[in-house]
Amino acid sequence: MNDYYGYTGKTLTVNLTTGTWMTGILPQELAVNFLGGKGFGAQILFDRLNSGVDPLSQENIMVFATGPLTGTPAPGSSRTVMSTKSPLTGLWLDSNCGGFFGPELKQAGFDILIIEGRAPEPVYILIENDRVEIRPAGDLWGQDTFKITEKLKARHGSRHMTACIGPAGEKMAPIAGIVSEYRTFARGGGGAVMGSKNLKAIAVKGNKDIKLNDPDIFMRVLKEVYDRLRTVSAIGGGRTRYGTNVILSSVNEAGIHPVRNFQKAVFDGRGRINEKELAEKYYVKNRACFSCPISCSKASKVAAGKYEGSFNEGPEYENVWAFGAQCGNSEMGAIIQAEYLCDKYGIDSISAGNITGFAMECFEKGLITEKEIGFSLKFGDDEAMLKFVELLGRREGIGELFSNGVASAAEEIGKGSGYFAIHVKGMELPAYDPRGVQGMGLAYATSDRGGCHLRAFSVGAEVLSPAGKMDPLGTDKKAEFIKNNQDLFAVIDSSGLCLFAASSMSLEFIVKLMEAATGIKDFGSTEEVMKIGERVYNQTRMFNVREGADRRLDTLPGRLLSEAMPDGPAQGHVVQLEPMLNEYYQLRGWDQKGIPDSATLERLKI
Amino acid sequence: MIKINNKSCTGCRICEIVCSMHHNRVVNSGKARVRVVTKWPWEDTPNLCRQCPKPKCVGSCSKGALTITAGHPVLDAGRCDKCLSCVEACPYDAIFTDPESGLPIPCDTCDGEYNCSQWCPNKVIEVID
Repeated sequence: MNDYYGYTGKTLTVNLTTGTWMTGILPQELAVNFLGGKGFGAQILFDRLNSGVDPLSQENIMVFATGPLTGTPAPGSSRTVMSTKSPLTGLWLDSNCGGFFGPELKQAGFDILIIEGRAPEPVYILIENDRVEIRPAGDLWGQDTFKITEKLKARHGSRHMTACIGPAGEKMAPIAGIVSEYRTFARGGGGAVMGSKNLKAIAVKGNKDIKLNDPDIFMRVLKEVYDRLRTVSAIGGGRTRYGTNVILSSVNEAGIHPVRNFQKAVFDGRGRINEKELAEKYYVKNRACFSCPISCSKASKVAAGKYEGSFNEGPEYENVWAFGAQCGNSEMGAIIQAEYLCDKYGIDSISAGNITGFAMECFEKGLITEKEIGFSLKFGDDEAMLKFVELLGRREGIGELFSNGVASAAEEIGKGSGYFAIHVKGMELPAYDPRGVQGMGLAYATSDRGGCHLRAFSVGAEVLSPAGKMDPLGTDKKAEFIKNNQDLFAVIDSSGLCLFAASSMSLEFIVKLMEAATGIKDFGSTEEVMKIGERVYNQTRMFNVREGADRRLDTLPGRLLSEAMPDGPAQGHVVQLEPMLNEYYQLRGWDQKGIPDSATLERLKI
Repeated sequence: MIKINNKSCTGCRICEIVCSMHHNRVVNSGKARVRVVTKWPWEDTPNLCRQCPKPKCVGSCSKGALTITAGHPVLDAGRCDKCLSCVEACPYDAIFTDPESGLPIPCDTCDGEYNCSQWCPNKVIEVID
């Protein structure tokens, strides 16, 4: 199949050890069986990596993959997925990012960019259509992501789209992300892998066509999709007005917005930390990724008070939690400043906030001292919080230990701190307490990359939907929901679409767009693409199984399994993981150790 | 007449996307007749032909390749020698060149359809009679 539509049909592999690069043809079976994005990463990583590879060694590879809808007129078609072996978890990692990088990579003519090896000296990669250069980056090393982005644009052109690491990535902090156009491939330490390869940045510019198989049908379906987005108020409604913070108050009221490192659920700062406050006092302007009519992103600025002048693109819901309730902080300016610091140094803000809350609890319990930290680190102390985030980002002082993540820090600190190190498989949990939304407990425990809310998300179905489809405190039907949701999200993360935008569309529309874009009949069937999603999720599972993962890792922190929620609507509850997990394995066709059966692998052609 | 409400622009580039879809049936921002200029963190603005009453682009062309039809410049590709004097003459830097042919590609309003304006989710590009 030489005439690809939707896809460019080409791959680019850069070997930093030898300083060479080569282009290749996108294999047709790969496209048909794994769709794109996450799916491509799942297959390529499983094929190319041996088990036991050190994530920060030159044997690890990075796969930046777009999907068939990336760069098309579909809403939210901005996504690129970076897959690698995670230095935070030692397991599978896919981390995805919006903005403009993927669409530009496709206009340069590539569906996939694979990075191999390790450069002897700091370098950056410049891609301009068919011209690829590995350039020295000695002058860029040590600088923050804002400066790097600015410098590369000044040097090569404002239309060059970049992905770079900050000081945290250079120092291989396992919570380092890759910052692309002020957005981030954040979770799981992709930035550290890039740093280990001495790769400071990638800049890409293209002006080739992204061709669609049937542009007329595509644009006709697109009109229907836009109509739907308007009907459900995805365009111009709460998502446009408040961004991801549209759910903030509801999540708070449902008693699942974790407070002070998951010690409770009722946040006394909610009067000052809510979406209305943000929209009225801080948001300056709506911003959007490539081809997105929703524009969930907000440019924010602090107009008065102690943090006057602080600004950033954001803060998103997760970060409002991470540097708000999680740290007991109700100073909005400090939240905005904390997020700015995370982006500047290039660290994952969810992990950074979770870690800061964990460190605060360690400090308050006397497990780490003021002398060790350099200052007092109490919950609610916004200035101390920012100092700590600086240390994480610069990987200095106590920040060196904590930027390894809470699992690693708890091991070092000991004294029972592992009980309240809130992570799964080494990845810090985000902003939903599963004691009050049981499905999320299963979602976290079985997420392929560790503690993450974007591998399945039942908060909508359990607590946010007005009808309250499922009892958030019960376990009934949760396994089925989470399994199906994981498969669906694997489809979306492989398609090139943004999860937030796609969740306002329906799979029926997504498959119509994928078929019109590619001409591949199977992509037009919801049943067939869900099979692809299931295949992708089993493929990433097999990656983890090969690394020795099984049921023992599909678990939650001690606090969430044994400490009853002290307040709010979920008062008295813990996560009832075991019954959900048993049912989940059965539905997945995995044995009770969590290993996919041979019949399952055969059925999915893995 | 075109009015640009740049304060509402989110930088999404839907205008560029639908422009190249309309004219070339592909996505290629390099072929779009409108371009979004972004200065992070909060300046985004689409740039396109303002339909000047006395267009400098037309006056600059020594080959007579540009004429005004229905209020906007139209290129006679046969006459154009790709000197790009029109690109230089435009006070708004709003004439772009096709990366493949090298020809200037002034906005043709999609024959009055203005896809950029129609698809813009934020009413940034306004067409005024």
